[in-house]
This record gives sequence, structure tokens and C-alpha cells, in this order.
Amino acid sequence: MPTAIKESSPPHWLARILAVAVLAALALYIASSAKPSTLGNITEACTLAVAAVALNLLLGFNGQISIGHSTFAGLAAFTAGYSVNFWRWNPYVSLAVGLVLCFVLGLALGLPALRLKGPYLALVTLAVAFVWPTIAAKFLDKKVKASTLKGTKLQPPTWTGLTNSRPDRAVFLYWLAVVILVLAYVIVRNLRKSRIGRALVAVRDNETAAAVMGVNLKFTKTVTFGISAAIAGASGWLTAARLDRLDENSFTILNSIKYLLALFLGGAATLAGPIVGAFVYYFVDDYLKTHAPTWHWLPGPISKGPVASFLLGTIVIIFVFIAPFGLVGFIKDQVRRVFVVTPRPLKQAVASPELIEHTSDATAAESSAQD
Amino acid sequence: MGQLLQYILNGLAKGSIYSLIALGLVVIYRGTGHLNFAQGEMALFATFGAWWIHDHGVPLLFAITLAAALAFVGGGVIEFGLIRPAGKKSPFAVVVVTIGLFQALNSLSGLLFQGAGTGLPFGTLFPNKPNDFFRLPGDAIWRYENVGVLASVLAITGILFALFQKTKVGLAMRMVANNPDSAKLSGVSTTRILMLSWGISALIGAIGGALVAGINTNVNLATMFGVFLLASAAATLGGLDSPLGAVVGGLSLGVVESLVSNYPKDWWASSYVGADTSVAVAFLIILVVLLVRPAGLFGSSRVERV
Amino acid sequence: MNALLEVRSLRAGYGAVQVLHGFDMRVNEGEVAVILGANGAGKTTTMRAISGMIQRKGSIVFDGEPITRTPPHEIVRMGIAQVPQGRGTFTDLSVADNLRAGAYVHKGIHIESDMREWYDVFPRLSERREQKAGSLSGGEQQMLAIARALMSKPRLLLCDEPSLGLAPIITQELFAILQRLNTENGLTILVVEQNANLAVKIAHSVFVLETGSIVASGTADEIANDDAVRKAYLGY
Repeated sequence: MPTAIKESSPPHWLARILAVAVLAALALYIASSAKPSTLGNITEACTLAVAAVALNLLLGFNGQISIGHSTFAGLAAFTAGYSVNFWRWNPYVSLAVGLVLCFVLGLALGLPALRLKGPYLALVTLAVAFVWPTIAAKFLDKKVKASTLKGTKLQPPTWTGLTNSRPDRAVFLYWLAVVILVLAYVIVRNLRKSRIGRALVAVRDNETAAAVMGVNLKFTKTVTFGISAAIAGASGWLTAARLDRLDENSFTILNSIKYLLALFLGGAATLAGPIVGAFVYYFVDDYLKTHAPTWHWLPGPISKGPVASFLLGTIVIIFVFIAPFGLVGFIKDQVRRVFVVTPRPLKQAVASPELIEHTSDATAAESSAQD
Repeated sequence: MGQLLQYILNGLAKGSIYSLIALGLVVIYRGTGHLNFAQGEMALFATFGAWWIHDHGVPLLFAITLAAALAFVGGGVIEFGLIRPAGKKSPFAVVVVTIGLFQALNSLSGLLFQGAGTGLPFGTLFPNKPNDFFRLPGDAIWRYENVGVLASVLAITGILFALFQKTKVGLAMRMVANNPDSAKLSGVSTTRILMLSWGISALIGAIGGALVAGINTNVNLATMFGVFLLASAAATLGGLDSPLGAVVGGLSLGVVESLVSNYPKDWWASSYVGADTSVAVAFLIILVVLLVRPAGLFGSSRVERV
Repeated sequence: MNALLEVRSLRAGYGAVQVLHGFDMRVNEGEVAVILGANGAGKTTTMRAISGMIQRKGSIVFDGEPITRTPPHEIVRMGIAQVPQGRGTFTDLSVADNLRAGAYVHKGIHIESDMREWYDVFPRLSERREQKAGSLSGGEQQMLAIARALMSKPRLLLCDEPSLGLAPIITQELFAILQRLNTENGLTILVVEQNANLAVKIAHSVFVLETGSIVASGTADEIANDDAVRKAYLGY
């Protein structure tokens, strides 16, 4: 029998605080001791994680598939590169503007999503992802394409005590990535745990039933698309901050596929899934890229080929059968054998009439979510 | 006038290949409602297979035939081994499997065939020397290769339509597409029909891949990305459940692409529209069509019930 | 009499939900049997269990052969055809193709002559043979569904609520045809109906199904004389 823990009871809070503390300590430890190259890798993994978190909101919780999220990342990256280099904008302003642009483009893409079902929507986003590099190549000249936030354009603020030297810059970018990832996580987590989140899931599980229950389909679907696009944009901005140059092939459909695979690997529709998935994806990929060529038990040509991407693609397929909710789902199942968190009793809600309405609405949404 | 004809003829050859791959998508979609994201990469793998067989001294036509036959078996195996068990879990699981397959098959090609990244030389089935063409009125030329590709695709399409409309197997495929329960109650083994659908889809994909590689005289890991995307656009345009739509969508997309990439240079002298953006324009047209007819030009929209 | 279909302790359902709780049923060769029951009693589930469309436990024997584990497409070959609830025609296919679909289990030249035979029985289908099934009226679609089932040359015809959504006059026509199929062609028929009066008139034996169990059974006369059943299902 697993031990039952009440939601929001002292032990549950203790576990939560402990988890946050451990993660924060780990982040601090890495920042203070890791080599710049390692920090660079972690920054890159965080960048992938942000995009996967964005996709999770849309696909995992709202059931809309997008193979076009690379486009949003690309849009924000080029916006930052261009505005900072040619208009001398503040890089953080360029981030904000990039996010707004992504949000608007996301809304615009979400509009056809209202009329298009499953595969048709996937194909539209696929088309957008495919067209993007061509448009980027056509409309941006070489100078623009290459411009990023490298060098002096994005410097650590003085209060951090960091200089613009290579090691300090690595630490700074690492913290930027960590902070953006945490923000993205918190936004998605709070959305998911709120009334809106239950509406999202209701729409995912049965659109018509959700509409009948009073969920505004148009609003929910387009705004979700917009928010998800903006978060993907943040990932693109991080790319622009980290890299020395970009070009039209920096954000292709293959990036979109990578976001999807990272999400599936960690577990779609789980909050931590996209982050875990992105880190595992990135570091497995990185490890195999450097180590596979030295594996002498593999025939020469094979060890030099795309071992990592073959393995990761295959693992994702296998996971469909053995761990449908990814690594996180698998770990959760193991933990549930020891501890179970029981939800807060509904009795508390009876105290206030306003809450009663809220809860009944919520239970209706959740019960349809189980269909 | 001659130039217009020229562009249309060029477009038709390319478009015919899009329609072939699109047909593969439609055959699978009609059976199960799944979109096979790995369609292009399945075709790529088979094309590398054809290259490998040809490289071992087998004449190209036989190599392609053999690879297509193997692809037929492979398609059935993928349906039976992966898609069907995933489909029992959820439609979403099938999407994940086909996206995983996309990556796995592409990188498997990279692992097995040395030099696949940069490209391997691929022969063509049709004469393609600089002066292998028919002369048409108005200075237009029709390259033997384009004629050959278009004719082969039309022949294959004709065979497929005959299969769908005139044979018992085709009837069973239409039954399963329209009403799987009643198909079972009429004695059709739906499981066998679905395997067959994936087999046929893989087979025509393999032929499409070989034709593309022949035109490019090269096959590499990126060969099928663009073709798959345009084919999926063609299928979307025509309606995912309409074989006729796939053919019309593919051919018209090829022609539009060819016209857009060539004409603006003469007409608008604009630096913004041209060869690179032709694809973008093609997709824009599709987006507009979809907004007006969400199930494509020939597709049927079904009412969803709670 | 010779039992064509013999069902023993039949249990079936959907996923974790059991709908049928183990009952026995016997349909003799050459008779019309009717299952009566309210909504949710398990009538359709019984039909789907016999034709193999859902998982079932217990024993179903057709003409001496156990079919409890046989998949639906093979059950059709053995001679059971089902007209599913809500017609189940192939709406995108033409009327003629629907009939060819019905004959899927057969090979050869008899198909076209069989089609002519059923066009004679259902003249309105003959007029519309090239039309898509989806464009037919409800009554015509029901006729088509029956004709399609007959194309497989069944020995047992299962009809799931054929009168559903049809005008009374069409329903009467339909039952007249079912009765003729039984008397003239010697076809054994198992009908599920809510329109009990009409169904009992053509029936030889009747089963009353309530919440997954058979609560009464007998010849049509016995059932018509059973006060409780008469009140509940025949309404007089």
C-alpha cells in the first residue's frame, strides 16, 4: 500500500519546497563550478526545453498539433538580431517585441485551427515551417541573417558583477536560459492548474462536449496557440543570444521535429516532461555525437553516421508502447507505488458560494477529460 | 504562348510526382484517418534501397521494381507491427509513431548508406541528354524525361484507380474507408485491408522516390523533405480522403509552382517573388482554399457527434 | 426442430462494463425470432455479440459450429448476415456497389444474377442503382441494407431495429418483406424490435430482454397471452 499524502498538507509542501531547493542548489552549483563549454551545453538544452514546454501547452494540454514551432523561434530570433543590430534596440525590448510578434502570428495560425481538424491543422503548420526558411532567405540579406546578440550587444548587467569575458558571458547566458525556462514552466503550470487549464484539457478531450459545457472554443484555442507561440519565441531569442550567427537554416522543420521528439521523450501532458525530455534528448545527442565515432564494435561508417538521431527516434517509438507518458510518466508511476497525493477534499469549497460554482465547473471539465 | 506551355509542361512532370506521394497519403488516410508523417522518409529509404540494389549490378528498372516490392512488404509490416498496436492506444500515439519513424528512417538511411548525407548518384530511367526533347509550337520543348515521368505516373495512377473501382480488393478498400463496421459485417477482414493500404502506399512512395532521384540524378537524406511537404499540401488541397483530389491537387500544385517561380520575373520584375518563394505562394493558395473549404476541394466533411 | 443458433450463458459488454449477464437463447431453422426489450436492455449488444463485433464469453453455436471466438468477417462466410442498427450502408458507394459489397464473401458470376433478383424484390433500389447510397431516403436505405445483407446468401439474418426512424407505412412494407423472405425463401430471421406489435405478428418465437437477461420467452402466442409482457411491451 502506498502512503497517502494530502494535497497542500505540510508533508506535501515540504516535498515541494525540498524539490525546489534541490533544483536551485543544483543550478547554483553548476553555475559556480562548470566549465564554460558545459554551461553552453546546458544553455542549449534549456533553449530546447523552452520550445518543448511551449509545444506541451499546445499539444499536450490543448491537443492541437503544431509542426511549425520552429517558425516562431525563428521569428523571434531574427527580430532580435535585426532590431538590436540595425535599430540599436535594447536586447530585452527586442525580446518583448519578438514575443508579441510570435503571439500575434500564433493567433493568426490559431484562426485556421478553428476550422481545421487534426491532420489538416498539422499540415498547415507543417507548411508554415517549410515556407519560413524560404521567406527568411528571400527577405533577409546575408548581413541581417547573420546578425545575433553576440559580443557587446547583450552584456551582463553590472549588478551581476559579471564581465563580458567568455567564462562570465557563459555564466550570464546560462542564468538567462534558466530564468526563461523557469518562467515558461511557471506560466504553463499555472495555466494548467487554473480554470483555464481545465478548459484546455476539456477542449483536447472532446471539443463539442467542452463547447456545450460553456468553454469558449475560439478564444481557448487561438489564445493557447498565441501563448505557446510566444514561449517558443523566447526559445528563439535565447538562440540568438547564444549563437554567433544565424541563417535561414537555423530554424527548419527539423527543429520542429526535435521539439516534438523531446516532448514525447519526456512525456507530453506532464508538466516536467518537456524539460526532462529536452535535457535527455540534448545530452544523449551530444554524448553520442562525440562518442559514437570512437565505438570500435560498430562498423566504421555506421559509427560516424547519425547514431544519435536514429536511437532517439527509435526510443520515442518504443516509448509509445512502454511509457506513453514519457520518462516523467514512467517515474511518476514508480513514485505512486510509494506515495500517493490525494486531492484536497471538496468540503472546503462549500464555505463560499463563489467557490461552489468554480468547483462544479471544474469537476465537470475534469470528468469529461477522463472520457 | 510557347513559354506558358513550357512552364505548364515542366510543372506537370514535378506535379505528377507530388500527386503520386499524395495518393500514398490518401490511401492510408482513407483506411484509418491517420496522417503518415513518415511517408516521405519511407520512400527515401526505399530509394536508397533501389540505389543499393542497382549498385550491386542489377539494372536500374529491376532494382527499382525490387525495392518497390520490398517497400510494399515493409509498409505492411509497419502497419501490423507499429501503427495498429499504437492505434489501439490512441490516435495521438500514431502521430508520435509516424514522427518517430520520420527521424528513425531518415537517420537509418544515413547509417546504412555511406555518403547518403552528401548524396549518391542515381540513374534515370529516361533519356535526359541536353537535346532529348520534343519540339512543340512556340519554341516550347518537352523533355523526354518529363514525358516519361508524367506518363509513368499517369499509368500507375490509372492502375490504382482501376484497382479501386474495378476489383474486389478495391471494393473492400472503399468499404473499409466508408464504413469499417459494415465492412466487417460484410465479410471484409479490415486488418488485412489496412496492411494492404500501407503496403500500396509504401510501394507508390518508393516509385515516387526513385522518380525524384532520377530527375535530380542524386539521392540524399534531404531528397524527400520538400517532395513530401508539397505532396502533403497537394493531398490537403484535394482533400485527404479523395484519390482524385490527390491527383488534381498534385498536378495543379506542380503547375502553380512552376508558373509562380518563372512568371513574376517577366511580369512584375519583383525581387521578392521568384524561384525561392514559389513554394510559399503555393502554400498560401492552399491556406486560402482550406479556409473556404476545410476538407479540401474534393474531400468530404463528416459531421462529428459527441 | 433443428436449432440453427444456440446461445448459452452469453456474457458481453464494452470494456469494463458488462451488458449481457449470461442468458440462453435458441433460434430454430426456418423461424422468425424476435427479441423485445426497452432501451438499454442489451438488444443491440446481443446482435453484435452474435456477429462477432464485440468480445463475448459463454457459447454461441451456429449450425453445430462454435463461433464464440470467430472474427466477424468469418462469421459472415459461415452464413450469418447482420443489418446493423442505423442501416450501416456504405453511403459513399453506389447502390450497385453496396450490393456487390454485400456479396464480398462470394466469388463469381452469380453475383450479377443475385443482384437482379433483389432488384426485383426491391424495385426502388433498381431505379437508383447508380445513385450514392447516402442520397437515398431512410426507408430506401433500410431496404438497401437488407438487400446487401441478403447478397451474402445468409442462412440466418440478424435485423437490428429495422423500423427505427421509418414512417409506419414503410415499416409495414418492410415487415411484409421480412415475412416473405421467411415463408418463400425459408430464411431464418432474428429481429430486434421496439415496435413489438408488428414484430410479434410475424414471429414464431419471442424473447424478452431486460437489463441483460432474458426474463420471458416462448412462442409468439404464449408471449401475447402473458399478461405482464403484454402490458409492458405490447401496450394493451
